[in-house]
Amino acid sequence: MLKMTRLSKIYRTEVVETYALRDFSIHVQEGEFVAVTGPSGSGKTTFLTIAGLLEEFNAGRYELDGIDVRGLNDSRRSRLRNEKIGFIFQAFNLIPDLNVADNIEVPLRYRGLPASERRRRIHEALERVGLSARARHYPAELSGGQQQRVAIARALAGSPRLLLADEPTGNLDTQMARGVMQLLEELHRDGATIVMVTHDPELAIRAQREVHIVDGQVIAVAAQPHLVAGAEMQA
Amino acid sequence: MEILAILSALRRNKIGALLIAVQVALTLAIVSNCLSVVEQRLQRMGRPSGIDEANIFTLGNQWVGQPTDLKARIDEDLAALRALPGVVDASLTNSVPLRGGGWSNVVMLTAEQKQPTAHTAIYFADAQTLNTWGMRLVAGRWFGTDEIHPIEVNDTSVPAVVIVTEALARALFPDGSALGKDIYIAPTAPSRIIGIVARAQTPFAASSWGESFVENSLFAPDEFINNGITYVVRTQPGRLHAVMHAAESKLFAIEPQRVIDRLQPFAETRAHEYRSYRALSLILGTVCALLLTVTAFGIVGLTTYWVTQRRRQIGVRRALGARRVDILRYFQTENLLISGAGAALGVGLGLALNLWLATSLQITRMSLAYLIAGAGIVLVLSQAAVLLPALRAAAIPPAIAIRSA
Amino acid sequence: MIKYYLALALRSMQRNIVLTVLMIAAIGVGIGASMTVFTVLRTMSGDPIPQKSSELFVPQIDNWLPAHLNESPNLVGGLLDQLSYRDAMALMRARQAKRQTAMYGVSFTATPTIAGAKPFIVRGLAAYADFFPMFDVPFRSGSAWTAADDAGRTNVVVISGKLADRLFPGGRAVGRTIDLDRRGYRIVGVLKPWDPQPHFYDVPGGAFSEAEDVFLPFSTAIDRQMPIYGDNNCDDLPAPGWYGHLNSECVWLQFWVELPTAAAVQRFRQFLYNYAADQRSIGRFRWAPRVNLQNLHQWLIGEKVVPDEMRVSTLVAFGFLLVCLVNSIGLMLAKFSSRAGELGVRRALGASKADIFIQCLIETAVIGAFGGIAGLALTVAGLGMERMILTESAARLAHLNVAMICTTFGLAVFATVCSGLYPTWRASRVQPAWQLKAQ
Repeated sequence: MLKMTRLSKIYRTEVVETYALRDFSIHVQEGEFVAVTGPSGSGKTTFLTIAGLLEEFNAGRYELDGIDVRGLNDSRRSRLRNEKIGFIFQAFNLIPDLNVADNIEVPLRYRGLPASERRRRIHEALERVGLSARARHYPAELSGGQQQRVAIARALAGSPRLLLADEPTGNLDTQMARGVMQLLEELHRDGATIVMVTHDPELAIRAQREVHIVDGQVIAVAAQPHLVAGAEMQA
Repeated sequence: MEILAILSALRRNKIGALLIAVQVALTLAIVSNCLSVVEQRLQRMGRPSGIDEANIFTLGNQWVGQPTDLKARIDEDLAALRALPGVVDASLTNSVPLRGGGWSNVVMLTAEQKQPTAHTAIYFADAQTLNTWGMRLVAGRWFGTDEIHPIEVNDTSVPAVVIVTEALARALFPDGSALGKDIYIAPTAPSRIIGIVARAQTPFAASSWGESFVENSLFAPDEFINNGITYVVRTQPGRLHAVMHAAESKLFAIEPQRVIDRLQPFAETRAHEYRSYRALSLILGTVCALLLTVTAFGIVGLTTYWVTQRRRQIGVRRALGARRVDILRYFQTENLLISGAGAALGVGLGLALNLWLATSLQITRMSLAYLIAGAGIVLVLSQAAVLLPALRAAAIPPAIAIRSA
Repeated sequence: MIKYYLALALRSMQRNIVLTVLMIAAIGVGIGASMTVFTVLRTMSGDPIPQKSSELFVPQIDNWLPAHLNESPNLVGGLLDQLSYRDAMALMRARQAKRQTAMYGVSFTATPTIAGAKPFIVRGLAAYADFFPMFDVPFRSGSAWTAADDAGRTNVVVISGKLADRLFPGGRAVGRTIDLDRRGYRIVGVLKPWDPQPHFYDVPGGAFSEAEDVFLPFSTAIDRQMPIYGDNNCDDLPAPGWYGHLNSECVWLQFWVELPTAAAVQRFRQFLYNYAADQRSIGRFRWAPRVNLQNLHQWLIGEKVVPDEMRVSTLVAFGFLLVCLVNSIGLMLAKFSSRAGELGVRRALGASKADIFIQCLIETAVIGAFGGIAGLALTVAGLGMERMILTESAARLAHLNVAMICTTFGLAVFATVCSGLYPTWRASRVQPAWQLKAQ
């Protein structure tokens, strides 16, 4: 599903050259739930933006759902992003002007779907996250947890091949966080491919597999994440 | 110093600064040119005509049909007008200053001269014209009753004696010796200058063609016997409107078969002649006011936006020890730099615009004083406009540095 | 999709109402000011007779010493703008054009036959019968006089509909007599409303005067020695009396010819040149032939029908519009930059740069449309004000027709979209990644 091979991303300013990702490789199969962890500044956010086709990279190869993304123009990348990927951001990033239903509709609009099809998908997505009653509400009227669930609904509405989550519970209190993680696990059980970036080891445990990044490179890949946590404490 | 830091910060927001500078430049160029044009027009409008404007009214008279006893009728009319209570004097003429239409002629110093020495307007005057018009004689004398000859419209006789305005006298004889000299308004015979009045403008005072000789007038001692004449009446102060109506009634009483048109106080004549100047001043003045307003609001809008963008940064500065007045000064300095650059550009643009106007539309060149004055106005306005957003910036609490959402 | 973007645009405008109102106001005022002034300019410089103007010409003949020319107030193309009687009659006799007429302005006192009505002044024009077909003058009843009337100097007139209604309310005027200066003239025709602006056929008589109320045969006016109500310029003293004036080199007549083809124009030019050469050979002109033939359009430009004041005003008004648009660029930059967050999210959700560009462009177009409406309202108000301060009849006639309304609205949208191009382009380049990280 998501396959990066020896990927490098360099940030250049006038004076300094920084490798955000160096010779980075990762392979996420369809239906996997992978956690990407690492200390702050390790490059996990860069990985996420490249995986989400939000940024370009300097070297290496990236295949998304079998498609090589190198050399695609902005229009094609946008289409790919729209069709294949569902984003779940730490800060929810709902559009405050629009109500819940209209927020979920945004990616569907760029797909060019007819109105009836859009309505159906919105309805299904809201049902899935349990917020059908709030379709006409505005983000400001919802709690943090509800807003994040709306964001997940927005990600789901387009039937993406891949869900990319960036610290999905970062702005939520414990109870809401639990609810959101439960939802993500449900989605995984139903067959979704999820890549979740987090710095919280307790969250990382709930994934199937953990990829640990330090200084732009993969340090460890473990099927039992708790082992990695132990290794970190020793180092 | 602070200025260099501001400049380097501006480099990251080049476009916004450029937009304000361009607005300031254009505003300055346009406003200064408009001010120059308007000032010139207002100055022309303010020139005195040389006659007792406040107490004079004029009327046009035409008898129905083609009466043959025109002279008798005219004399009867004038006698009746002069006898009205409240009237100082009345006389007959072909035109008055600022009328718009009249007679103009060239003046030469010798009969053989090919190029005219001056241009002038010609007024037909009678013995009472000096008193009726309220002009001031500065040399020589006015015409005597026996010197006035009746003249008809296609009469080409040349007056033996004439009276000129001071401006015409100086144009013809710069050494000041005009009195008693002979001049030629036609090559056939000379006319002797027997008197000089201080001032009487031509009828063509508001035309660009007439501008070069607007103060040159010549009075010929001719009673203009024509069916289609102008009566000029001078009243005692404060009695103008009453006398106007009385005069009209009196004339109709003498002979109802006539048409009286353009019965108007001189103020109306003046207003009518200068109406296009007034209109231009109003239009340009309005546009300039709007221009300054729009630019001021533009500065307010854009600066407010910049303040919002830099909220965090401003909070940090405050947290690091800047006082409110330091923040205020920062934004004012920044604005002064931008507007100053704009004003410098505007001076250049204004000069270029003025040069173009002068060559293609005969607007006179504007003195640098207008640009400087204009730059001053625009800069003051700009600093005033930035005051509001700068005060808002100064009010940002230092806690923002830590708490920013 | 367009409807979606329109809805988004309206919502975004509502959210920041102050900024939006400022932008619409600035554009509205800019458009209003410039279109107000421009409408008057258009009316003043419009073609008064578009269906015929390419066939109408003014011949010019210089009958003054070239050195004396600067004594005339109005030169067109360096030549006098009126003809002398002698030259006008020579041209009329030669009949070198399809239609031709000399003319000059006259004025009468008219005495109505209605009991108790006071006499009043009417303005008239002395011309030849060709005047009416040449200028497509429309008749309400009756017709023009004939060539026989021209030759016979008969006392006939054509009057305006307005005058006919005033003298003979409700009745038929053709065939009746009108008392002008205590002489009777038989009315042979009454005109439909006709008031070409500018008053092109007699500019010295007033570039924007109302059309005359009485038209009579030129020969009749000359025969009756009717005084000139217009411009008279002499370089030398004429001989005394009316006939002295006719035989002099004073210029006081308008002259128009109708030349339907380019060949006819060429022939007439040659004829003018030959005529002036003849006058030289008989000793009347002591200079090389100086003649010209001006088309109506060139004539109006040469006579400076549009005063320079009007041109200056138009320039300044459009300069003002320019400043308003520069202003808009800044305000739109601010507006879109503050929406960078939302636009970044849309990019992340699959909008391409082109999608964002179109969305923002539509927003600028909507603002431009509102600005256009505001501008139209202000133009109407402005024209009302201008009518009060400019007393030329052209200003009175200046009004918004459909074409000008569309131009105003279109200009507003076009100008706003143009000034929005840079801010929109900047907005579409918003990096989705950066915006999201900077939360």
